[in-house]
Amino acid sequence: MKTVAVFFGGKSAEHDVSIITGHTPIIQSLQATGEYDIYPVYIARDGSWYSIPEMNNLAYFKKDLEEKLSKEKKIRFDINDGLTLIWPGLREKKVSIDVAFPAMHGTYGEDGSLMGILRMAGIPFVGCDMAASAVAMDKAFTKQIMEAEGVPVVPYVWFTKYQWETKRDNYLREIENLSYPLFVKPVHLGSSIAISKVRDAGELKNAIEAALHYDDKVLVEEGVENLIEVTLPIMGNERLTFGAIERPMNDTDFFDFSDKYLGGGKGGGVNTEYSEIPAKISEELSQKVLEYGERTYRTLGCAGIARVDFLIDSQTEEVYVNEVNTLPGSLYHHNWKKVGVSGVELCTRLVAFAEERFAEQKDTTFAFESDILSKAGGQKMHE
Amino acid sequence: MFPMITKTLSRFHPLFIRSLVYMLQASEYHVREYLAWYKRVEDFRTVENRKVLVWTMKSVALYVCAWVLFFFLLALTVPFLVFNGGVGYVLFLVAVYLVPYVFPYVLAVPVLFVQHVIQKPIEWFIVRNARKTLQAHAGIKIGIAGSYGKTSMREILKTVLETDLNVAAPPHSYNTPLGISSFIKTLTGEEEVLIFEMGEYYPGDVKELCKLVRPDIGIITGVNEAHLEKFKTLERTQKTIFELAEWLGETKPLYINGESEHAKRYTEEEGLSHAQLYSVSDAEDVQTGLGGTTFRIGKEEYTSKLLGVHQIGPLACAISIAEHLRIPSEKIHEGISKTTPFAHRLEPKTDSTGVVTLDDSYNGNPQGVAAVIAFLGSLKGHRRFYVTPGLVEMGDRTELVHKDIGRQLAREGIEQVILIRNSVTPFIEQGLQESQYGGKITWYDDAFKAFEALPHLTVSGDVVVLQNDWPDQYT
Repeated sequence: MKTVAVFFGGKSAEHDVSIITGHTPIIQSLQATGEYDIYPVYIARDGSWYSIPEMNNLAYFKKDLEEKLSKEKKIRFDINDGLTLIWPGLREKKVSIDVAFPAMHGTYGEDGSLMGILRMAGIPFVGCDMAASAVAMDKAFTKQIMEAEGVPVVPYVWFTKYQWETKRDNYLREIENLSYPLFVKPVHLGSSIAISKVRDAGELKNAIEAALHYDDKVLVEEGVENLIEVTLPIMGNERLTFGAIERPMNDTDFFDFSDKYLGGGKGGGVNTEYSEIPAKISEELSQKVLEYGERTYRTLGCAGIARVDFLIDSQTEEVYVNEVNTLPGSLYHHNWKKVGVSGVELCTRLVAFAEERFAEQKDTTFAFESDILSKAGGQKMHE
Repeated sequence: MFPMITKTLSRFHPLFIRSLVYMLQASEYHVREYLAWYKRVEDFRTVENRKVLVWTMKSVALYVCAWVLFFFLLALTVPFLVFNGGVGYVLFLVAVYLVPYVFPYVLAVPVLFVQHVIQKPIEWFIVRNARKTLQAHAGIKIGIAGSYGKTSMREILKTVLETDLNVAAPPHSYNTPLGISSFIKTLTGEEEVLIFEMGEYYPGDVKELCKLVRPDIGIITGVNEAHLEKFKTLERTQKTIFELAEWLGETKPLYINGESEHAKRYTEEEGLSHAQLYSVSDAEDVQTGLGGTTFRIGKEEYTSKLLGVHQIGPLACAISIAEHLRIPSEKIHEGISKTTPFAHRLEPKTDSTGVVTLDDSYNGNPQGVAAVIAFLGSLKGHRRFYVTPGLVEMGDRTELVHKDIGRQLAREGIEQVILIRNSVTPFIEQGLQESQYGGKITWYDDAFKAFEALPHLTVSGDVVVLQNDWPDQYT
């Protein structure tokens, strides 16, 4: 039986959301197939790694987690000849992992960090690779790249904490060129954490300070008039499959953390009750969303799965790419279900994509023979 | 080797006594069932699975009594220690070891004692009083007997007759003399029609109930293998159910399900020519789907929210009885249109992701199952899932019945079959394989795991049938 390690938790503001994604649908779907030996790898808020079979059950995380963890041994890993999980002790246990399934949202996980380890270990892993993950994690980078590719994005200004502290007036002047309302966002956080809508200059500084509390880089962007927000899940490596275009039907100003994850709903994970699937938008708009979605996915070098968010001005019919999420909450399994992809199919296909990409990478030559070492320290190497 | 050790060790676990009390409670204090279950248990720590022990007066008393008895048995082993030397000690240890083996049988003694010496006489008085009350009641009494479909028939009939008459029927599946008697106590005397289900567990049961209820109209919903392990042969089941026909004689109306082969054959063999056979062939232009069923009898067109053609027979029977009771035609139409699926009997539920689940967990008889598979097969344009742990109490027909289920699932082209691992489901798999089944078979260790997996296996538009549910005593 193939061993699959599912990684979730993490040093991230989205630690709890990641636990949900790890279980619903990933672990539960992989269990439903009966074809995998699943190792849950829980990364605690302090960065410690744990793995016990009980962690395959979401209920484990609902009560007295700290107390339970205090009784468990942390695990180690070895990346020589693939990824090996090690349970230390008198009777040390080692398990070699065939496929890794990251379910980490936000920093130290979705941002490419974990993918870096997995690349070094040389095993197939599900979802976007390190570079795409790192770029998509930064909302400002994403916009810069998509803008350069000619895909429309809304006007924006970005700066780091240091820049804000040293050249605040410059940035405030730049922001004056944008029209209100504005959105202020920490660039690295997902699940809409610490995002504020700013209606006038009076609210601006507070919103920026709040965002800088969570991140060292902030994005200020124009709000879209007559806004329709839609999102498009995509999966695949080269040949892409689209989910349904989904419109979150929230009555607040934007789709925030509590809308996404705390609103209840039966399916677990992402709230599905406030979504219109498929979104009732015109055929032309749908086509634009699909086209920009695909261009964004390919430009960033996404693989496995990602979700592209769009802002639409319903009057002018302008479509803007807003951001890319390389690990959509709960893999957006509710959306995939609407287009006929069950949780089991989704997760098994993602594992297959991971293996397919890994096989292709194996064919790529990374080594290059040279005589540079033998010449080092001798005569001058450059002309 | 290991299961033997687990079973032995679990007898010495503190949960052992609680498990025995639970087993008695779940078997409704039927000692024979309890002992049969006791012999099958492989680990006494995990008996409470689907349900748990409910603390009632009876169970608390039995639990206390159980511990007292257990210590009493242990105390009986102490005298062995008076033997000199090692022999006494060895005898003592052997006796202590044997206590948990003897104890389950000893525990049955107070249960049997209370049942025969206290409970039975009290029940006799309760039933006698109920019989007197009912004899003085002016309402028309309808008795429903059969191996299956009694509750559905009762609900259909009640819904139809209620449009014009004051109708009462025992709640839940109260179909024993005591259950019916407790219902009779609640009657006001104003009721115009009383409908009774007549449960058959052992020969003579239906006759007993006839003496209590004194039905004016009878319905036999069918005969099959249900409770075969208690009846041993289908002939005995048949004879017990037809005790209702015997009671009614030739003068009182009797309706028999013509779709039940056994019932139909018995009717012919016994020359019950006065009985009216009801079946789907009473109707024409039959159409059924997830939205409900429409059909025509003569010139009258009817619509019901019940699913499946197997509902037409009981609906036709209800129409016939309503006409017999001179209920106006428009009221009968109204009644039929009000008939909707009952809880856990092919009850459709659509979840937020657009998956339709047909909960048929209370249907565990071969005829009902065949009807449901046929209905599922008739639903085109959907991906169809059939989830089942198989059927219980099928006696020596177990293999045949389950292979038939497999063959029918293959014939109807059901896309996915989900089986729960136990002693009977391998026969379903065999039936599927024998019929070159082209769909997917998935196995789960228990129903919980299957239920947990289902949301991850299904997508919008899928139809899932949950067929039958096994209580703890059968797992």
